[in-house]
Amino acid sequence: MTDLSVSVSANGHLASQQPLPEAPAKVTVRNLNFYYGEHHALKNINLTLGTNRVTAFIGPSGCGKSTLLRIFNRMYDLYPGQRVTGQLMLDQTNILDPKLDLNLLRARVGMVFQKPTPFPMTIYENIAFGIRLYEKISKSEMDDRVEKALRGGALWNEVKDKLNASGLSLSGGQQQRLCIARTVAVRPEVILFDEPCSALDPISTAKVEELIQELSENYTIAIVTHNMQQAARVSDKTAFMYLGELIEFDDTSKIFTSPTDRRTQDYITGRFG
Amino acid sequence: MAVESNVVDAAGPYDRAKALSAFKLGDLTFYWITRLSAISVLLILGGIIISLIVGAFPAMKEYGLSFLWTQRWAPSADPPVLGALGPMYGTLVTSFIAMLIAIPVGLGIAIFLTELCPQWLRRPIGMAVELLAGIPSIIYGMWGFFVLGPFLANTFQPFMIRIFDGVPVLGAIFAGPPSYLSLFNAALILAIMVLPFITSISVDVFKTVPPVLKEAAYGVGCTTWEVVRSVVIPYTRVGIIGGVMLALGRALGETMAVTFIIGNSFRISSSIFAPGTTISAAIASEFAESDGLHQSGLILLGLLLFVLTFFVLAAARLMLLRLEKKAGK
Repeated sequence: MTDLSVSVSANGHLASQQPLPEAPAKVTVRNLNFYYGEHHALKNINLTLGTNRVTAFIGPSGCGKSTLLRIFNRMYDLYPGQRVTGQLMLDQTNILDPKLDLNLLRARVGMVFQKPTPFPMTIYENIAFGIRLYEKISKSEMDDRVEKALRGGALWNEVKDKLNASGLSLSGGQQQRLCIARTVAVRPEVILFDEPCSALDPISTAKVEELIQELSENYTIAIVTHNMQQAARVSDKTAFMYLGELIEFDDTSKIFTSPTDRRTQDYITGRFG
Repeated sequence: MAVESNVVDAAGPYDRAKALSAFKLGDLTFYWITRLSAISVLLILGGIIISLIVGAFPAMKEYGLSFLWTQRWAPSADPPVLGALGPMYGTLVTSFIAMLIAIPVGLGIAIFLTELCPQWLRRPIGMAVELLAGIPSIIYGMWGFFVLGPFLANTFQPFMIRIFDGVPVLGAIFAGPPSYLSLFNAALILAIMVLPFITSISVDVFKTVPPVLKEAAYGVGCTTWEVVRSVVIPYTRVGIIGGVMLALGRALGETMAVTFIIGNSFRISSSIFAPGTTISAAIASEFAESDGLHQSGLILLGLLLFVLTFFVLAAARLMLLRLEKKAGK
């Protein structure tokens, strides 16, 4: 049981891992089911995302982890034929309420995607754009906010001299950090990361992971990843999903050292998936 | 070479070198066919320009540059007095009004179809737009003559006059006796004719926007309008402008429908409800009965249309370059 292939990195959370104190729930999922048309993609999911904790979602492709993430900000609403049942609360707000203001929800629950998605505008505008949707602030205040956001995205030093260059002119890793900065700029409460490093090289990946750790001081974070070392490095809690079911949800240290379910153990030791 | 022949030996009874040389011949033929096709475009274009210039030369010699700012068009006078101001004005004004109407409507349809339309409505609307493109222009002309013209003259123009009567500039634009044949009628028909170009090209380029980019915009809390304005349109602007230019080219040169409903008057009037003419309409309606200097003058008009179209396209290119610079690309 203890001979697992996932090494626990020295600088990650696990090294110093005492079981973390339970954080107050930020997002609560109760009996959640999701359907793509006829296909029952998520089956009776129950879990909570702790405030200012990093929760990782792992599992083989098609197990529903990204689907679950896309429910947290109702992104599935953009597409017809997808529906959800159950209960999903963000603090006291019912996320699944059909009358909920989606724009407001998405400002509270930010998302970073697998591929970097800078908007077709300058670096400065990429950040200012989201802020401007909600706040009317002066140019100097905006400059401040943009700088703060870019610092938050660990990008400021690299782009401060070319804020008027196109966001598309940056490298892939920089673009991804720009997207993170853009998400942070809107001051969300929860940030969803959907495989944020799968298109990045190892150095950029390390930077983004470091960033996620820093962000977890102020934000509640959910991250979907195929990289188990990454889950081990950045997360406090880990959820293992398989075929649309939540198999196991526990402290990351527990999942990676002594999982209770046979399937979890098989997956993290690389026997399938 | 030695290596090659070794390989051929090793390959057995097939004569690979021979097969290769056959490929080579095929390749060469292919290269020349495509090259000649490409060159033929240049030849045809050059030929058209040269024959236009040759045909227009007598008129150019007779009228010189004053052709451009003379409004009078009296081919049966002796000697004939010819000026292109009327048709040029008509061409530009009808195309301008047509684009003014067709661009927002066409983009609106495209945005609705790609971003907002419920699935079941998408096909009927999409097909209706494509069918618009398939209607022969003479049908548009007849419809403009029998339906749109009377409506504009009897209902729309009096209404506009009542609203804008006495207002300095606008009053003059809508003033005048009602006429079935008018610049505005032609502009409306042109707008309908070019609408499918703008819509179908815009729909195509809107579909190239990566869904994840749109999701990212929705993800920071954008409404559909904000996503379209700040992400979809900037991302696709090159394609959109291309579609608009194609439409503008069509509007500038459209002949049949316009000839039917524009009234063929060379006099410039401040009112858009007055009859006018366009370059292509003037050529179409007079060319058959023309000769000598008159005919040369009409050919010169054609050359002007050519130049006009060229400048419009060049201006569009320039605008595009500027836009790209501004976006920091």
